[in-house]
Amino acid sequence: MPITRTAALDLHLLAKFTNLLLPAALILSLLAGINISFYFHFLTVVLLMLNMLNFAYLFIQRRHTLLRNFGILGQARYFMESIGPEFRQYFFANDTEERPFNRSERSEVYRKSHGIDSTGAFGSLCEYDRDEIKLRHSLFPTPHNELMPYELKVGEARGLATTYTLHRPIMISAMSYGALSAYAVEALSIGAKEAGILMNTGEGGFPKYHLRGGSDLIFQLGTAKFGVRHPDGSLDDEAFEKLCEQPEIKMIEIKLSQGAKPGKGGILPKEKISKEISELRGVGRDHDVVSPPGHVECKDITSTVAFISHVQEISGLPTGIKLCLGSPREFEDLVKEMIKQDTFPDFITVDGAEGGTGAAPTAFLDGVGMPLFVALRTVDQILIRENVRLRTVLFASGKLINPAKQLLALCLGADACSTARGFMLALGCIQALECNRNTCPVGITTHDPSLIRGFVVEEKAKRVKNYVDGLLSDIDHLIAAAGVRCASELTLDHLYIPDQHELAPLMPNSASPTAQL
Amino acid sequence: MKTHHILSWILQVLVVLILIYPSWSKLIGTPEEVALFTILGMEPTGRYIIGFFEALAIVLLLIPSSVTWGAILTLCIMSGAFLAHATKIGFGGEITMMSIFLGVTFLSALGILILRSQELPFLRDAFARSTTPQKNDGPTNK
Repeated sequence: MPITRTAALDLHLLAKFTNLLLPAALILSLLAGINISFYFHFLTVVLLMLNMLNFAYLFIQRRHTLLRNFGILGQARYFMESIGPEFRQYFFANDTEERPFNRSERSEVYRKSHGIDSTGAFGSLCEYDRDEIKLRHSLFPTPHNELMPYELKVGEARGLATTYTLHRPIMISAMSYGALSAYAVEALSIGAKEAGILMNTGEGGFPKYHLRGGSDLIFQLGTAKFGVRHPDGSLDDEAFEKLCEQPEIKMIEIKLSQGAKPGKGGILPKEKISKEISELRGVGRDHDVVSPPGHVECKDITSTVAFISHVQEISGLPTGIKLCLGSPREFEDLVKEMIKQDTFPDFITVDGAEGGTGAAPTAFLDGVGMPLFVALRTVDQILIRENVRLRTVLFASGKLINPAKQLLALCLGADACSTARGFMLALGCIQALECNRNTCPVGITTHDPSLIRGFVVEEKAKRVKNYVDGLLSDIDHLIAAAGVRCASELTLDHLYIPDQHELAPLMPNSASPTAQL
Repeated sequence: MKTHHILSWILQVLVVLILIYPSWSKLIGTPEEVALFTILGMEPTGRYIIGFFEALAIVLLLIPSSVTWGAILTLCIMSGAFLAHATKIGFGGEITMMSIFLGVTFLSALGILILRSQELPFLRDAFARSTTPQKNDGPTNK
């Protein structure tokens, strides 16, 4: 608000003026039409409509105070507000401003997915005088021919016969058919097969479209257990066993919680429940489908570990858990119980609170759960301290769309990284933030036929492959720069962590008491 | 809601049928229309303009996403016609039939608008009496 009142625009005064001008103009136009030329009545008619609308805004409607006080002029505010996001995104926000991913981050993914050069120029767009962690490079980078291929065996520690070996440190994180359109899932599946990476089915029940491309799958057992449940919400052992016979399903992931809405179940808004989804998941179409916040079998630490053991037994596959870290103390107790019952998940996916989702209450999106790097370090630390780190494998997820962040996760204790939104961006996501309204402009998170029409599966599958290729190439270069031969040789010492960073107290050489947790 | 939809379409078809002859005759230039527009002082340009708008209204009333705009246009045209009758050509005598059609079309267009008032945000706002929960109301960050 300007302090002085000279030459200031008083909108209220302007509105009062327009509200008097409108009827006056109507009368003038009417008179002109009668007396001068009938052509004036074109204006009369329009003014008549505007006057009636203005009258309705001022005196008839009761909902909007602004319209009652300002009349038609008040609509300008609502109009400007509605075009705000687009204007901000395309004209006014600088390259490092947008959330959750700024333009420079998204650009890198877009360029990789198109297979074009994604180098930057002139200098970094990051704030170097702030507290960001970096990879420490070595004076002696590893020559290319000394790099070792990535290999991660899951299920080995347990002595499982059907272990699974990852040959890439990248995976597609959980996105269900329901959250995503059928075409998007199919494109991801085909691309994953081409690129040789694992894909997570998300918690949408029978992974009909995930199977289409023939890629290796992690089947996620969400709290609603779509497709493999008894009416009371418990696991239908037979149905589940049958599902595990699908040759593409290589591993099982029990979802305990997810970073975007920790402590709350998955949400599929009713706008997105198509006929097919309704049948596949066995749900109605007239209300949102909200999964329960927890598994019925997991009432406490003891029953949770017992459930993990049970699922491991029935599936006969490497079985892990996914969780967002809330309380390190709780996780420590969980690990101790695992030692007691001699049951370990074959992998633990740590999902940072900054993780993405198709739909979640804002309070949960913004305010619940621990961020990835701290959670990852904490989980790693607890496992090491209890001497059980080698009995499981750590996957990390949470805004890991670009190699820089992925390397940091690998240094902090992750054995592999997964990303969902990275792949969505590769598929052409423009961050319109409309995933929960069934209006995704690029046909990725919608089931509207007129929107998914624009999405060409073969083209997008290529983007997925290109993106992975770009990621792997950069990761190799970064590993070489760090002076090690493979991702498993990366350690905390390869990280530069400024003193003010949240991770600093958790580092081993830190004097802080929390390092001992 | 389904009944609203069906009723609206009945009214739409009614208006379209009524508007076909006037629109065509204005664009062709039948003697009655020429005479009418000479009285109004809008021969021939005004006749072509109004004929065009009537044709446009027919089209808009039939395309599902523009029906409400077609209804608004029809109201505008009928208001103009009403003004013509009121100030220059009267309502009775030879023009009785036209006057009746005018009234019917006007009320039908109004009916369509009322039945579909939820479709256009500015109309919804104009008659909103209380804060009832709404569905896809535009930006979620008010």
